[in-house]
Amino acid sequence: MTAASRVPAAWRPAAFVAALAGYGVFAYWAAHSTLYIQGLVLVAAVFGMLAVSLDLVAGMTGLYSLGHAGLFALGAYATTILYNDHHWNLFLILPTCLLGVGAVGLVLGAISLRVSGLYFAITTFVFTLVVTVFASDSTFTGGYGGLIGPIFPEFPSSLSWAGQSVIWACLIALLITTLVVLAIRSSPLYPVLLAIRDAEPFAAAAGASTAAVRIGVFGLSAAIAGGAGWMFAFQGIVSPSQFSWQVSVNILVMVILGGINTTIGPILGAVFITVFPAQVNINPFWQEVLFGALFVGVIVIFPSGFVGLVRLIGRQIGRSLGLAGPAAPRVEEEQPGIVDAAAVSAVARAEERSAASGSNGSGPETPAIDCRDISFRYGSGPLVLNGVDFTVRRATIHGLIGPNGSGKSTLVDLISGRLRPVGGSIEIEGVAVDREGVTKRVGHGVARTFQSAVLVNELSARQNVQVGLYSRVPRLAARSLAWPALPSARRDGRRLRQTVDDSLAFVGAREWGRVRLADAPHGIAQLTQLAAACAWGPRTLILDEPLAGLAPSEVEHAASILAKLKSTGVSIVLIEHQPRFVFALCDEVTVLAAGEVVASGPAAAVREDEHVREVYLGQ
Amino acid sequence: MQVLLSGLAIGAIYGLVAMGFAIAFYVTRVINFAEGQLLMVGVMVAAWFARTGLDPWIAIVLGILAAAAVGAVTYLVAVRPVLAFDRFSFAWLVSTLGVALILENGAALVWGPTSRSFPALLTGTSVHVGSATLTLQEVVTIGVAIAAAIGFELYRRRTLFGKLGMAIAHDPEMATALGANTVLVATAAFALAGAFAGLAGVLIGPITYSNPYLGDTYGIAGFVALMIGGTSRPAAAMAGGLLLGILGEAANKLIDTQASDWFPFVVVVVMLLVLPEGLLSLAAPFRRAVRRARAPAGATG
Repeated sequence: MTAASRVPAAWRPAAFVAALAGYGVFAYWAAHSTLYIQGLVLVAAVFGMLAVSLDLVAGMTGLYSLGHAGLFALGAYATTILYNDHHWNLFLILPTCLLGVGAVGLVLGAISLRVSGLYFAITTFVFTLVVTVFASDSTFTGGYGGLIGPIFPEFPSSLSWAGQSVIWACLIALLITTLVVLAIRSSPLYPVLLAIRDAEPFAAAAGASTAAVRIGVFGLSAAIAGGAGWMFAFQGIVSPSQFSWQVSVNILVMVILGGINTTIGPILGAVFITVFPAQVNINPFWQEVLFGALFVGVIVIFPSGFVGLVRLIGRQIGRSLGLAGPAAPRVEEEQPGIVDAAAVSAVARAEERSAASGSNGSGPETPAIDCRDISFRYGSGPLVLNGVDFTVRRATIHGLIGPNGSGKSTLVDLISGRLRPVGGSIEIEGVAVDREGVTKRVGHGVARTFQSAVLVNELSARQNVQVGLYSRVPRLAARSLAWPALPSARRDGRRLRQTVDDSLAFVGAREWGRVRLADAPHGIAQLTQLAAACAWGPRTLILDEPLAGLAPSEVEHAASILAKLKSTGVSIVLIEHQPRFVFALCDEVTVLAAGEVVASGPAAAVREDEHVREVYLGQ
Repeated sequence: MQVLLSGLAIGAIYGLVAMGFAIAFYVTRVINFAEGQLLMVGVMVAAWFARTGLDPWIAIVLGILAAAAVGAVTYLVAVRPVLAFDRFSFAWLVSTLGVALILENGAALVWGPTSRSFPALLTGTSVHVGSATLTLQEVVTIGVAIAAAIGFELYRRRTLFGKLGMAIAHDPEMATALGANTVLVATAAFALAGAFAGLAGVLIGPITYSNPYLGDTYGIAGFVALMIGGTSRPAAAMAGGLLLGILGEAANKLIDTQASDWFPFVVVVVMLLVLPEGLLSLAAPFRRAVRRARAPAGATG
């Protein structure tokens, strides 16, 4: 979160107005200053927009785009050519640039995100190369010499006291860009984006179509770059050398120099990189060498940038003044079993809601999960699962046990849709889901957790649980662009916070809600994962070793939570390694060994099975 | 024929640079964007020593060694600290490009921004192959490049050190736990990558002369070659370079004389659209089928 989160809530509107007023005064000063300063301000504002837009993709979704110079070039060339040759109105060109370059971004994103993050960087890099080569070698772009850009219309005489119009325009454009990105940052979409960046399976299991969200964010970022291109055209000349791949890298340097994923930092970086060479007049070769040394130095010595440095210093001053931060809460001392009644009822209510909306007339007799004759192999390897039948009845806890490598997690991945079986069929509540991906299966009320907690460590437990609620906030992605300003968002936000608190209370981790997961013990991460999975009221819960690494008292606590979930009608698949615990808690147990079902049935019967004792219990 | 052979000669240079990229990449999963500048360092240092009156052959060896040394320093200064902070970050994109800026402009500061002569050893002699004419320099270039590619591939597959590189790429922490000195191996890989670039430099030097801005041109061409060949195997990068060289020459001949400026990019865009893992990824299913046929039926693992 930004520094704003540390300002008391009551001051925030006042601080916002004060910052806005200061910005207005600066704009007024800049609009009346010399042409030289105005040129600097225009370029710095344009690069500020670019840096903020790149930070949106690089910081929030972890995609290091080197295509921003190319997208920027498209905006600038389109503006110049549409104005010079086709005499379009400049203010009609702006939306054209935003939509057109945004669309190019969507296509580029869709193409380059098919493979890993590194290929994304490479593909976008090549995109920039292609755009500049094309611009240099075509005649309608003016070749290497470039084109002369349009002139921004002056203010009407009634507004002439305001000074140079183009300065106001570029500073307002930067302001709008920043506000949009800050709105996304304050919306519930932000934790989801970080989850897509750091813990993709988690985000997908929460119902986020991660690929679509990534492409969408890149499209938005591209649109902003197109807008920056429109603005840049008024600076005078538009030529290929202004959009070379080095410019892409420069923008990335601005982001990292200022502090990645801080939104304000990249603007500072942009200002520094634009103004520094203009103010320090030295031999151009020395200047470039110094720049290179700066790239290396910042990355190597201070990877979290200006803003990170300021925060570090701030924290140290705070510490030396004796203002210790809030002490970390101690582990819940509440007795397991005595859980806030309101929280239980909140979760139960969520159950009813999703039960009413989801099931397609399937009766309580239809199994929650029904797998028939499932086979699977990784690539061209041997069969990992061979003819597995696995049926989970409604409102039961079904244990899935077996030695390491017996195929438990693979089976769960097949049920949740992360993997596709080679043979066999899967039904969830009587609906065949063989053709559906992870996101669609979430729609059937299936939630899951992962073996080693897959969460966003830099976020708090509450924000992580919020990721689990992704599918419960309608049209979140679109509304996040103006989140703080929407009345409906305020209402949804309040409801969301309440649900998050309830489900954290339900698992008994409420005290840890505001602690960053990176600073929380392993048990809390496991509980947070569980809270995120049951927050939105799934009807079927798949838990992959939820007890791994928990202390004995915590295991009992978790067991009481599972029993309670079952009592509200949730069907649970439990993968576990601790036999004693499994047989006590589960209604039915299936034992896998080497990819085949060894035994399946009521827990007591399976426990007595000779074969099971042999392969699994080692007796 | 002339197109083919001239293409091979220039492609061999691209291929050597691409192999430099690939060698560093296959150990560290980092693309050293200063690779092109290492070629320039090789050229500049060799030319400088030659100007001081040293025997040109010794100057050439010193040029290659200088490129290797700068490669190793690049790793230690600009890559190692970044990976130590976060193994999965892409911040090396910026730091290696920073190194590229330092090298390029530093060279311009030291030796001036203009082209200087480079010892011409073999350009004077021509060799006739069928209807085509090549200089001896070009013939040597093709030979050296192919020998380097084959040599490296054998080394990578047959020696412990080469396999260690693959192990480190896959999981540095595990490799360290098994007693491998990851820093040493990675530094060596960067040095070797630098030597490949330096080798490319002294081979192309007699044609281009020594110029601080050589790095840009050949760096990008080598990178494009890497994209064509795919990043999975260094030898494939050489194949990508040769193909790029031939395509570029053919485009110059058949479309117009400036076509090699933009033609490689068209190739790369098509590559990235159709085969994002590189041209030789086409061969992967085939190889897998062969392996399966060879393995006894029902074998596990």
